[in-house]
This record gives sequence, structure tokens and C-alpha cells, in this order.
Amino acid sequence: MSENTPALETRNITVRHGGVTALRDVCFTALQREITVLLGVNGAGKTSLLRGIVGLAATDGTILLQGRNIGALATEDRIRAGLAWVPEGRRVFPGLTVAENLDVAGPADSATRRERLADVVTRFPQLAQRLGDRAWQLSGGQQQMLAIGRALMARPDVYLLDEPSLGLSPAMVDVLAESLHALTAEGAAVVLAEQNAGFAQPLAGRRYTLRNGIMSED
Amino acid sequence: MIATQLLVNAAALGAAYALVAIGFVLVLNATTAVNFAHGESVVAGGFAAVALAGFLPPDIAVPGLVLLPGVLVVSALLGLAIGALAYLPIGNRPPVSVFVTTIAVGIVIANGLNAGFGAAPRSAPPLVGTGGFEFLGATASLQSLAIIATATVLIGALAWLLQRTQLGRRFRACAQDPEMARALGIRLTRITLMAFALGTAFAGVAGLLLAHQFFVSASDGGVLVLKAYIAVVIGGWGSLRGAAAGALLIAVFEVGIAAIASQPVAEGALYIAVLLVLFVRPQGLFGEPQQVRA
Amino acid sequence: MNLRTHMPAAGMATALAVYATVLASSYDQRLLALSGVYLILVLGYQFIFGHAGALSLAQGAFFGAGAYATGILATRWELGFLATFPLSIAFAALLAAIIAAPVLRLRTHYFALATLALAQLLLLVAVNWEPVTGGANGLSGVPPVSILGWQAPRGLPLVAVIWGIAGIAMLIAHHQMNPQRRAAFSVARETPLAAPAFGIDAGLLRLRAFLLSAAFGGAAGALFVHTNRVVSPETLGFGVMVTCLTMTVVGGRYRIAGALIGALLLTHLPEWLRGLDAYYLVAMGALLLAMVLFAPDGLASFLPARKPLSGTAASPVPIPSPGLFAGPSSSLEATGLHKSFGGIRALDGLDLSFKSGEIVGVIGPNGAGKTTLANALTGIAPADAGVIRLNGNEISGLAPHDIARRGLTRTFQTPQLPAALDIRSIVMTARNHTGAHNAAPDADDAIAFCGLSDEANEASGSLPHGLRRRVEICRAIVSRPSVMVLDEPAAGLTPEEQAEIGALCRALADAGMAVLLIDHNVGFLKPIADRLICMAEGRILADGSPEATLADPSVRAAYFGMDA
Repeated sequence: MSENTPALETRNITVRHGGVTALRDVCFTALQREITVLLGVNGAGKTSLLRGIVGLAATDGTILLQGRNIGALATEDRIRAGLAWVPEGRRVFPGLTVAENLDVAGPADSATRRERLADVVTRFPQLAQRLGDRAWQLSGGQQQMLAIGRALMARPDVYLLDEPSLGLSPAMVDVLAESLHALTAEGAAVVLAEQNAGFAQPLAGRRYTLRNGIMSED
Repeated sequence: MIATQLLVNAAALGAAYALVAIGFVLVLNATTAVNFAHGESVVAGGFAAVALAGFLPPDIAVPGLVLLPGVLVVSALLGLAIGALAYLPIGNRPPVSVFVTTIAVGIVIANGLNAGFGAAPRSAPPLVGTGGFEFLGATASLQSLAIIATATVLIGALAWLLQRTQLGRRFRACAQDPEMARALGIRLTRITLMAFALGTAFAGVAGLLLAHQFFVSASDGGVLVLKAYIAVVIGGWGSLRGAAAGALLIAVFEVGIAAIASQPVAEGALYIAVLLVLFVRPQGLFGEPQQVRA
Repeated sequence: MNLRTHMPAAGMATALAVYATVLASSYDQRLLALSGVYLILVLGYQFIFGHAGALSLAQGAFFGAGAYATGILATRWELGFLATFPLSIAFAALLAAIIAAPVLRLRTHYFALATLALAQLLLLVAVNWEPVTGGANGLSGVPPVSILGWQAPRGLPLVAVIWGIAGIAMLIAHHQMNPQRRAAFSVARETPLAAPAFGIDAGLLRLRAFLLSAAFGGAAGALFVHTNRVVSPETLGFGVMVTCLTMTVVGGRYRIAGALIGALLLTHLPEWLRGLDAYYLVAMGALLLAMVLFAPDGLASFLPARKPLSGTAASPVPIPSPGLFAGPSSSLEATGLHKSFGGIRALDGLDLSFKSGEIVGVIGPNGAGKTTLANALTGIAPADAGVIRLNGNEISGLAPHDIARRGLTRTFQTPQLPAALDIRSIVMTARNHTGAHNAAPDADDAIAFCGLSDEANEASGSLPHGLRRRVEICRAIVSRPSVMVLDEPAAGLTPEEQAEIGALCRALADAGMAVLLIDHNVGFLKPIADRLICMAEGRILADGSPEATLADPSVRAAYFGMDA
């Protein structure tokens, strides 16, 4: 039964972007131990939806994280409540080293941080050689690993990933898919916003499609 | 010999300017806005030293050094106030608004000090006493050497904080991508206020260091913020290392040209030089342009 | 221009005249004279700080330059007012002209620093060039204003002269900032990236604003010296700049009424706050801060708003006949376009051509270079290499506003519209630059063509997204271009709105325009496009009829992520 617990649920949320309503009455549920896929062409509103959930775009409506309404919280507090956001374009901190990029997302306690950093490196061995390099020196694929690793440092319950496969080589896409499966196997919920149906569909537990700001479950 | 002496003087002046410029960049990076009250913060630090010196016993050996912690605390509090009044309420309005609000806070500080302390220049006690000693045949003042030492220690401590601590990493993350930093759970407002406190504390200490030899008066703020601004432009917008280098360069320039020609010529040459830098090499003299945030 | 619009001005003038002659003591008259001086200074500052939106810190320097010019010419050369006044204005304007070219292209922070450095430099010269400027003491014995033998003593005559000149300054400001130019400044200020794409030469606007601000500053400085009869380095100090900035922020940055309120209020405030004594300036600073925080548009924003531009009565006009747009010969040809960002090739030797009557759709996955293509064609971000020809003439390398004026316009992914401006004004800014003396008829034609007549007088910010998108198109066609590039015009629209945009594009193509439609939405493009191009990695993957392109296996793999 615990497998079917909803980790993240949105109830009729409306997202505005620059004063314009980008999405209306969006309802979806992401379960623990499952990858929930949001499909839609670019401009359909996937990015706005994820930004709305983390509180970087104005929203109305209820957002339940592990049953608790986080819809009125500031972004920082939503993240601290157990949410992680891996944005489109990775947005690693270019001037920080790989290790610093990971550390900065971790908790205050340095022993715990060291432990989790080691765990990230085990998952993404490619990063092990690059820990001292600045993040801008990494390839696109490595930056994506770093961005997911950075999200891992806070041990969130729900991961929101925006187009992680974008610009990755087929081999890297496979690595990515594997790492997402590993996250769900450990009990997390993964929400994957993708326009690349070829990558996302085989991973999906539940699948939703966004068309012109309206969401439907497939 | 004169050259050595000039070099020590320039290094001392440059060290104090470096504190001002680094404080300026700390706020700049945290807010992407120019803090025009920064010059007044230097002046306020100088006056804080003057005021606190009144409570010291007269025969103390290292008066300035004893005052240093007090000046740091007072200036940090002032920085918090500047951030809370002139930056946080601005929200999403364009950076020009922050120019104007910090100019306004600067007016308040400068004229408050003028009303409280009078317009006449005041002098703060020296760091470790007056006098000097022979050094390679030249006389180096104790104060100059103490200024260099104090600034070096403070800048070193800041470098350690930024490079080696979690707080420092968060600082730099917020400077590079504030939205992403928030989305990692970092409390941006707190970090921003801390940048104001730290930056203004550096300015305040510079005020203490400068106020012995050069005196301090309420109207000095404008020239000081201009020098920090110039140092940052010369050194490359947003670079702490560049700001320190730019500050040293300004000091060498000022002391050197003043020795050859005169003080006004030195000042004028500096302004002309910065205009030339802006026109020819807007990314600064040192280093490549940093990743500029749109 | 009717009696009603002049009523407030006439009333105000009468009240001032009565106050000055009947009620005011000689001290009050002096304050009134000073207010007039500052009014001129602030009117000038509104051009650069308000309309152009650039934080110049040299306004005090122009004031001082005018002051010293008058002081030196009048005391050392003993020239009369009719010579010194124009020369003072010219001197300040000349200074501005000398530094304008390098300074005006600097961005915010650097512009502020450069203007500040210039001001400090002038102050330094004034203090240290003693034989000419009198050094720290300045020059005394400046004569009163004398015109053709008549001297204006202090008191009422001086007030009359200064306010007479201030009146002329207000008229000039009113004339310079006519509603159409106001609108152009507003577009250039609030949507700087988009403005050139509609033919607005933002650089020229900034230059005009900077020169005007300097000339007004010089005039104010000259009159200030005649009021005080001495000129001292204080006229060049940062204090003047701060006063001017405070007056402008308190009164308002854009309106003449704002300059009046700011100048009058802040010259008299010291009198009313005399009890504060030394803390008066502290109160000034606090007031400035409070104004920015609580009334960022100044006190003038509490006055009734000016009316939007009224054009001809908005009557529905039938869709204009074909031929409204450039003739059947329009074409765009691009060959060998290259553009790199860092190591990434956003355009990699791309060739493209299309002609009038054609709608060409462009699809492609994210990062394929579609927006880069639009930016390269329109000169917003020119290509590194390649040739672009518009109607056979090479346009590559031209400034974007020049390309727009030659007949290639575009729309943006996010509509770039100043929120406070009404639709007609926005549309007119894209027409007026071509030298048409009256853009209103063309604007109304285009507005009717786009079905926006009912909304023509509304602020763009109040419109729903779909209509804002149409305003963008309307603005792109008002200058009757031969080629239009639309970047994602359907994104975020309902299917009905998409269909309307599609029909509009069809009508434009039928009227002789060549249309390039960049969009993700194949469902939107397929029915209206004559040709469909799929881009990937900066190159063209397929180019043909929509059916053929969509059936292409490489397109299916790249765009839809399906196996070939």
C-alpha cells in the first residue's frame, strides 16, 4: 500500500507568468516510487508548471507535498519541506567547483555533507575526476549529472526535472534513465517534464499531457 | 629611498581602499546594484572610531586596534539598516531605483554625521601608536604598516570565509544565480542582508584606518564611493580580486602622480584614466569579462 | 490643443504672478527665482533620467558649466546677457556632445560612473584653474541680467525674467516630448531589445535627450549665477546633482507638472522645515527615500493622467485591398549563415529564401537555432558570417532599426510592449520614424486590419495575452514591410486565438508580404504554411510542403523523438 502514497498532488492550480495566465486548473498526482511524466511540446507550459510548484511563478490553488499544503510557502521553505527542482538548462553555479556545487546544496552539518557527496560520486562516477574543476568546464551531460547530484544532496521526497534529456547524447540519456530509476527505487517520487516522448514514455508510471495550458491524464 | 617610502604609503592607502572596494563588490554581487551609501559608510566608520575613542583611557598603547571590534559591529549594524531600508523594499524594480535609494540613505548618513559631529575634519586614534622606524634607509610610519597588516588579515579572513565555509559557498551561489540558490533552499534575503553587513563593516574599518592620517569629514563619502566604483570597474565588474587590485592601482597612481606633480593632477588623471578604461575596455583592465547576469 | 488643455497652465501662471507681485516678500521672491532656475534644471534632467531612463550624474556638472561660462564671460570679458546666456547653453551642450559618443553606449552602471567622473573632473578644474575660475573662492561681481541696456534688478524683475525663460523651457519640453516621441522613448526605455526591430533608433533618442538635458542644465546654471551674482565651485558640487535628482524623483520623472512640483516644493521646503535646523538635509534624504519606496512615479502621478493619443475616430475599416504591402517582388534570401555562442554552433551554414505571398513555417527541437535565426535575419544579434538580401539588396551588417526601416520586421516570443502605453501609441511608434508626418491614419489602418479597433485606446498591460500578441503583429505591419518574421506567435494561445493569428498571417501573405513563421506547434503551422522547414543543430533538416517535411524520417527522429 505504501507504494501508492501520493507524494505530490496539485489541485486546480493556476500559474501566471508575467501577469499572463500560463496554466489553468492543473490537477496531477505524483506517487512515491514512481516516475510521473508530463509531456507536451515546448510552450505548452511544462516549465511554468514546475516553476509554479517550487514557488518561482505565481500560483493559486493547493499544492500538497506529503499531504501538507505548501502552496503559500516561500520557495526556500518549499524546498526545505522536501522538494527538489532541476531546471531546464541545468543552471549549475558556473564559478563554483563541482564539489562546491554539491556542498552548497547540502545541510549545515559537514559530516553529513561529506557522506552524501560520496554517495553522489558513487552514483555518477564521471564526476569523481572532476570534483575540483569549475562547473562551467563540464560537458552538458556531466552538468546534468551534477544538477541531479546537487538535488540529491538535500535528500528530497520529490524531484522535479525539467527536460533533463535535452542536448544529451543517447549514451548519456541511458545513464540518466538509470539514475532516475535508482531514485524511485529508494522511495522518492520523480516528476519528469519532457518534450522528448521517446525518452520519457518508457519510464513513465503515470503520464500526463499538457496542451495549450490544459492538462490531461493519458 | 623616497621610492621605498612612497611605496609603503601607497600600499597602506591601497590596502584601505581595497577594503572599501571589496565591501562594495560584496554588496554589488549580492544585489547587482551599486550601493551609493558605501562612501558614507566609510565616513561613518571613521566617526564611529572618533566617538568610541572618547571612552578609551588616555594612555592605551594600541587605541585603534582596541576600537576595531566596536567599529566592525557598529558598521555591520549600519549595513543591515542600509540593506533593509534601501534594497529589500525595492523588490523587482530596476537597479536605477537602488541607485536613488542608496543615494538617499547616503544623504541621511552624511548630514546626520555633519549635524552630530560638525563639519570640521576629525582624526581617529592611530592603530598601534604613532612613530615609525627605519626601513631600508627610509622612514616607514607605524600606522602605514599597521594599516597594511590589518587589511591583509581582514581580507585573508574574508577569503577563508568565502572559499572554505558553507556560508561562503552560499554567498557565491547567491551571487551567481540568486533564483537557483533559492531553489536549493538557501535563504536569499538573509544572505543579502549579510552581504550588506559584511560589506559595510569592511567600509567602516577602512574609515577607522584612514581617519587617523587623512582625517574624516562628513562630506568625504562621495569621493570614497567614486574610488571604490573606479576600482571595481578597473578590476572587472564583480570580481573581488580585481577590486583589490584596482584599489592598489588607484593608490599607486595617486601617490605616484601626486609625488611627481600634485594632488589635483593625480585626481584628475585618475578620472581621465577611468573614462578611458570605460571607453576602450569596459570589461576592466584585468581578466576576461565574467559571466554577466542579464 | 484646445482651451481645456491650457486651462491648468494658464491658471497656474496667473496664481504665480499674483503671488509674486502681491503677496511675496523680497525673500520669497528670491525663492521664487531659485525655483524657476531649478525648474529649468529639472526639466532638462527629465529628458535623460526620465524619458531616456539613464541615470546621468552629470546634470549638476552641466549646471556648473553654464554657471562658470556665464561667470567668466560676464566678469572677464564683460559680455552682456544676450551673449553670455546662449554661449553658456552652448558650452554645456558642447561638453555633452564631446562625451556623448563613448558615454551613451555604456550600460547602466558604467554610464552612471562615467557621468560622475566627468562631473568630478569639471569640479577639479574649477577649483584648481585659479587664473580663470577664481579657484576655491570663485568669481564675484557677476552683473545682473541686462537686455539691450535694461537691467533686471533682484526682486520682481529678475523673477519675471527667470520665469519667462522657464516658461519658454516648458514650451520647448512640451514640444520636444510630444506624445509620439514620448511613446517612442517609452518603447526604447522599457523594451530596449525590441525597439530597434520596429525601426526605433534608440541611440539617436538617447543622444537627443542627453544634449537637451545639458542645454537646459547650462541655461539653469547661467540664470543661477545672475541670481547669486557670484559663481563658486559649489555650483559644480554633487549637492546640485542631489538636489536635482531629489526634485525629479519627488515631482515625477516624465511630466512637466512633475518638474514644477519638484522645483517649487523643494526650494520652499527648507523654509517650512526651518525648525529642523542642521537636520534639514537628513529630512531631505529621508523624503527622497520615502518617495522612491512609496510613490515611485512622483507626486505628479497623483494628478489626473494625460489622455492617450486620439487618432481618427476608431471606425471599423474593411480589410485593405491587396497592395497595401510591398509589391509582388518582395523576397528574403539568406546564404551561409553562421553563428556561434562559445563553442556551440547555433547556426551552421544555413541557407534560406522565401518570397512574397509565401508563408514559410519553421519547426525544430529546442536549441535548433530558430530564435537565433530570427535574431540574425533582423540584425538584433547579427550572424558571424553569411549574406542576407532583402528584395535583392544586401542588409547583413546593417543596424536593426535600419533593417526594420527597409522593410523587414518581426515579432518576439514574449510580446515586448510597454504596459502603460495605449495600443495606438505603441503602433504609431513603429510608423513615425519613417518620416511620415502623421502616423495616425496608417496606425488606424493597421489596427483595423488586425481587428483591434475596439482596444486602440487601452493600455497594453490591460489586454489579455492573445490580444497582446496581435498588437505585436499590428506594430510589425504598420510600416508596410515586405517581409515579416514571427517568433512563436501561437505559444500560449487558445486554439481559437491561434486560428485567428493564422488567418491574419494568411491575409498578410495574400496582400503581398513574405512571412516566416517560427513555431513549435505543428497543428498551427500545417494548415497555413505553404512550406515547412525543420531545423536541427543550426541547419535545415528538411524543406518542402508541410506533408513532405512531416513525413521525412530525419524530421520524425529529431523533432518527435521517434525512431526513424
